[in-house]
Amino acid sequence: MSPETRKMIIPLEALPEVGGHIQTIDGQDYLVLNDAMFTFYQRSQGEFSAFFLALRDKKKLLGCKCTKCGIVRVPPFLTRCPDCDFAPTETVEMGDVGRMLCTPPITYFANSLFQGQVPFGRGRLVLDGADTALSINIYTTKGILVPGIVKKDTEMKVVFRDERNGEITDIFCVPASELTPEQVAKPGLLESELDWEAAVEPALGAPTADDEAKFNAGLAELSALAEEMKGAERARRDIAGWHRVVQVKSAGGFLVLEIDDGDLRVRQGSTDKPDFTLVCTDISTLVNGMAYRGSLTQAIITKDLWISLNREFTTIFKLERMARSLARTKKV
Amino acid sequence: MSRRVGIVGAAVTPFKAKWYEKTYYELAQMATAGALKDAGMSVKDCDAVFYAIYNDIFERTCIPEHPLQGILGMQDKFGMRVSTGGATGAYTLSAAHAYLAAGRFKTAIVCGVEKATDCFDFMSMSATPEVIKVIGWSGDSFFEQKIGWTAADSYAEVVLAYMDEHPDDLKPEITAQISALLSQHVKTNPFAQRQHDQVTPEEVMNSRIVVYPFKELEICVYTEGAAVLILAEEETALAISKNTGTPVVWITGVGEANEHSFAGKNHKVMPRIMSDHLAAYRAYEMAGIKDPLEAIDIVELHDAFVHQLEITMAEMGFCPLGRGDSLIEDGIITPGGKILCNPCGGLIYSGHAVGASNIMSAWSGRNELIARGLRRALVHGTGSTIAQYGAVEILEHD
Repeated sequence: MSPETRKMIIPLEALPEVGGHIQTIDGQDYLVLNDAMFTFYQRSQGEFSAFFLALRDKKKLLGCKCTKCGIVRVPPFLTRCPDCDFAPTETVEMGDVGRMLCTPPITYFANSLFQGQVPFGRGRLVLDGADTALSINIYTTKGILVPGIVKKDTEMKVVFRDERNGEITDIFCVPASELTPEQVAKPGLLESELDWEAAVEPALGAPTADDEAKFNAGLAELSALAEEMKGAERARRDIAGWHRVVQVKSAGGFLVLEIDDGDLRVRQGSTDKPDFTLVCTDISTLVNGMAYRGSLTQAIITKDLWISLNREFTTIFKLERMARSLARTKKV
Repeated sequence: MSRRVGIVGAAVTPFKAKWYEKTYYELAQMATAGALKDAGMSVKDCDAVFYAIYNDIFERTCIPEHPLQGILGMQDKFGMRVSTGGATGAYTLSAAHAYLAAGRFKTAIVCGVEKATDCFDFMSMSATPEVIKVIGWSGDSFFEQKIGWTAADSYAEVVLAYMDEHPDDLKPEITAQISALLSQHVKTNPFAQRQHDQVTPEEVMNSRIVVYPFKELEICVYTEGAAVLILAEEETALAISKNTGTPVVWITGVGEANEHSFAGKNHKVMPRIMSDHLAAYRAYEMAGIKDPLEAIDIVELHDAFVHQLEITMAEMGFCPLGRGDSLIEDGIITPGGKILCNPCGGLIYSGHAVGASNIMSAWSGRNELIARGLRRALVHGTGSTIAQYGAVEILEHD
């Protein structure tokens, strides 16, 4: 397989170059080296092999049932029941519909391996007939996952990835209410069989005089904020090493935010090649977030702010951290 | 019969977002030297050392304690590391107590240290996502790591399950008030990472959601630093106290519990933090405490998240389950209330240098008991997936 088509365990963009830098504190230099602690495995899945092979090859979920007390555990994370003095368990085939044990969390700020996947849910699904819960990713087919879509007792359907590797990532679940009865009933439903709602940029109506006035005020405040950034070391650190051109569209007008290694620039108008686009009817939504009077993440959750690429939540978080740092600088 | 064990010395380094100036070798040495000075002792007088270091990957070394044995001057003596997730510090204190109470040693160093933010994510060009990733290696490696398990989302699972059962509790305006209160407490902790970061409830409410339902200002911050306690059995402790003039703060109760890591029937009860409940009540039984709200003056609680602080307080008997908000609404932890909760600012404002955190809490509890002339403090640690681990110590000032 050519280097271009090989799928790597560690994404190339995550790898640092050999090198480092000097950090100077109180006139003293400290050496900071790029480094990594890496270990590769050919890791046996041991007694879990049947479970993962069933996911990969048969699109089926397995559990284990205690031959003494009858408790059904999914996933089958043991072969003997510790509650029954280690009585043996037997493999049982499960269905792929169940209900949430409890309301699942939604991750908006992910670890470095998952920043391209936010927002995502991970919760505990009790499959019909099971006594324990399966930890599983949760998605909605209807846009961005927000609180309230999936709750305790929500009926969920397990969906299988088209490309499966014999890992827990081979499956995820969606609310059964978003599927047709036929899809819910179908064993081994594939992700390609789902009707994913496409992200469509919201249309903005013709600007009113009020919209334009708000835009002008917002542009002025953002420009002032960008000016303040020049002397705000803490806030500059929050966007250091980061480069993004963001097209912002509001009912009252368009502007461009440029993040450039600690600098923030704002200008009215459009750009041909933005890294991503933000859309809000009222420019105040963006301004409030940037001025630490509100949260941009919260605005995206409440659909007051639309983002063209979910992976750019990373940039949103940087802007929010910058906003807080700027506010703290002003307090001092 | 077991011997009484007390704290005779304590010290912490500054807790900082990043210590460019020190490795964990020197951080551990700084805090140890400070604690020994506080106890008026030489390291030559110490029989054993117990290391509280959570994560090998943070220190970029497996068995990261091994260089510390000589660096702390403890070569050729007993040394043992404890690692139990977020509860590492409290568990290490518990282990040291057991050895001294059993008569194995007369004195011991309890040294917690962590250097988390050397980890760095070269994609976002920031440390935090990589720190969270490293903690993510603590999740179940077959069923959970690969689907995005994090400490925050696993604790959020417990909190949301609790909110399923108690939808009127953990109101956002109350969690915001608690965070703001802790930000006031931290003002008097010169070693805290966020000593000067006072926030209003409105700012907390406006802060971004990191993992639903947690907002940024409701979550502990990752920190680098060290904290050390010097323990001694009764006879030695009294002699040291006579020398320093500082009263001994005794460890009169210890309790621990680890729950199941899988949830469901006969497994983890998601709406509860039974680890905290069992650990606290085991410690109460050992200390002879019947009513914790009346018996305890200070709680130094491992506040990984404000919501969890409220649930843990309920689990430990300071308010009813489902009435966590009464901590504020009934004035239990507000100024002048029955409980002084996290006078150090907690881990949200002091910072969470994981292995060192609970030891820093004990440092604070001990100092506050002496300075305020109060009688009892509770020190708590929580850790692992879905709040699986809990450890509690009762500190008592004669």
